[in-house]
Amino acid sequence: MITASHPRAEGGGLSGLLLVALPVALLIWLVLWPVLQAVVGTVYFPGKGFSLSSYAFFFTDAYSLRNLWLTLWVTALTSALRVAVAMPIALYLRFRSGSIAALVQSLALFPLFVPSVLVAYAFIRVLGPNGIVDTVLVALGLPKLPTPYLTPAGPIIGLVWERLPLTLLLLLSGLGRVSIASVDAARDLGAGGLTIFSRIILPRIQSSIIVALAFNVLGLFSAFTLPYLLGPASPEMMGPYMQRTFSDNADPLNATTQAVITFAFCAAFGLVYVRAIARGRRGPA
Amino acid sequence: MAQVRLSGIAKTFGKVTALDAMDLVIDDGELVCLLGPSGSGKSTLLRIIGGFETPSAGAIAIDGVDVTGLPPERRPTAMVFQSHALWSHMTVHGNIAFGLKLRRLPKSEIRDRVERVLDLVGLAGYGGRLPSQLSGGQQQRVALARSLVIEPKILLLDEPFASLDQHLRERLRDEVRDIQQRLGITAVFVTHGQDEALAISDRIVVLADGRMQQVGRPGEIYAEPKTAFVAGFIGAMNMLDGLLADGEIAASGLRLAAEGSGPARLAIRPEDIALSEPADGRAATVRRMIDFGAHVVIDSALADGTHLRIQTDKAIRVAPGERIGIRVDRWTVFTEDGEPRRYRSDTLRSFRDVRYA
Ligand SMILES: Nc1ncnc2c1ncn2[C@@H]1O[C@H](COP(=O)(O)OP(=O)(O)OP(=O)(O)O)[C@@H](O)[C@H]1O
Ligand SMILES: [Mg+2]
Repeated sequence: MITASHPRAEGGGLSGLLLVALPVALLIWLVLWPVLQAVVGTVYFPGKGFSLSSYAFFFTDAYSLRNLWLTLWVTALTSALRVAVAMPIALYLRFRSGSIAALVQSLALFPLFVPSVLVAYAFIRVLGPNGIVDTVLVALGLPKLPTPYLTPAGPIIGLVWERLPLTLLLLLSGLGRVSIASVDAARDLGAGGLTIFSRIILPRIQSSIIVALAFNVLGLFSAFTLPYLLGPASPEMMGPYMQRTFSDNADPLNATTQAVITFAFCAAFGLVYVRAIARGRRGPA
Repeated sequence: MAQVRLSGIAKTFGKVTALDAMDLVIDDGELVCLLGPSGSGKSTLLRIIGGFETPSAGAIAIDGVDVTGLPPERRPTAMVFQSHALWSHMTVHGNIAFGLKLRRLPKSEIRDRVERVLDLVGLAGYGGRLPSQLSGGQQQRVALARSLVIEPKILLLDEPFASLDQHLRERLRDEVRDIQQRLGITAVFVTHGQDEALAISDRIVVLADGRMQQVGRPGEIYAEPKTAFVAGFIGAMNMLDGLLADGEIAASGLRLAAEGSGPARLAIRPEDIALSEPADGRAATVRRMIDFGAHVVIDSALADGTHLRIQTDKAIRVAPGERIGIRVDRWTVFTEDGEPRRYRSDTLRSFRDVRYA
């Protein structure tokens, strides 16, 4: 039997260490230190000692929990939707070529260059009350659209569209490792489209999908602009909630507590992401 | 029975004509090589036979049944790709069994057939490995087994061993030939290596720029190339630009008997040249001598500097700069229009070449 050698076991030597020293130092200074400060700041109060009361408040406050719950399911649904929408496009782009593919690609990547605020206002103009769709429906004598604006569907639609390109690019990079010949070979042996996707393609882009999901979750969990502009006022997603607690309610302690909790969730997803990458590197694609 | 009949096959990609006016019949049990330079349309033709491309014009029939519009899975063909076609997340067994599982065969039969085909390609006992745990040659054997296990009538191979080193390539191509003969299946083998084509095919189809240049047995193509392209492409060949006049062709200071007039191309195989006393129109200067062990190749220069390759006896020794006389035993003259004309020195002995007899 052949045993694969572990790349990690070999080590990169001193030069490798120096190479990562700067980014690691920056990471500690700009990310880990503030996190630590935030965590300490929510549990240790000079002169009063340790207290978990702000966390106890968050996890007993119905409104906070509703916000957390909303954030969780909007995040889950949005990232699943992004992958679901991006997948057919990615498959098309990978296995077809020509002018239509080029057009699809530029259309799909277009949102990459549009700021969130514009997305929000375009959304309101098109799908909002008395927006283009409504106007057309009314002109045709049809009933008005139940607008997704200011409902959870609002930010979901906006968020899916906004970050579709990134998901698409991640999936494309995964599909790049699935050779066209290997798909042709399956077709040759009699596999239909669905079988090829589930048995040949999917197993080999698993890690890309996990990476795409984790990436999405990280960004979505603390998304602010679109939930703020398009979402319902109550319950609200963690991003706007934190912002409001901090500035409108002038309550830095609870805002920081919310931030730490958000961070904890993100860190958990980050762990999934890191493990997926490690597995993708070790195992065959 | 598995006969392939191509009639008037053409394929264009946008403005590029990849194939044009292909008529070809591949007989049952025959191994045909598609040979040609890069971009000549070999893969396109193979993919049309396999159903991966639809021809822009023409029809293709297998055993008399028109399959022009059928997708790959509904044709009795199986394709072996150049490389990167194994499914790296499945074991060797999984790769080979895939086609059988799709056919919903019972488990025990699948196991038997996979084992038999692994045996056939010399990989018995390798079923549990992942493709990444195999050498390049073994991987291509698995690819071959995966195609063979579904018992296709026609095996299509697109440069299956191109990424392997020469030694392995030679061994595998002989194995393919062997397996093909044993199973008695029809095979179409794409290659751009002429030695590969000469070594294994029953017939060779030489392609250039999407057109069939010549179809024939290996020996025939080697000995009697129909076009200057084929002459230059198959085997080593000296191709010289010359002028026909007064019963002679003059090319780079070399003069040989030939009929006709006007510009023409003179083709001489290196092994059809022998050394002799220098004479007017029969001399060259040695540039370099390459000793291949079994024979010697002399790279020489004609009067105007054109290279002339001479293959000769291993006992011969010449030095760079040395002036040598040459005697050409066979040559072919290609003119713009009309059939190539072949000459041999012994048929001309009576008049000009008598001195070199
Ligand atoms: N999908 C395609 N789209 C556009 N042009 C193509 C396509 N496939 C092949 N061609 C063109 O058709 C011609 C023949 O290509 P083909 O792949 O058949 O050549 P080949 O003889 O197999 O070459 P090689 O030895 O390099 O594999 C080339 O000019 C190529 O650029
Ligand atoms: Mg090719």
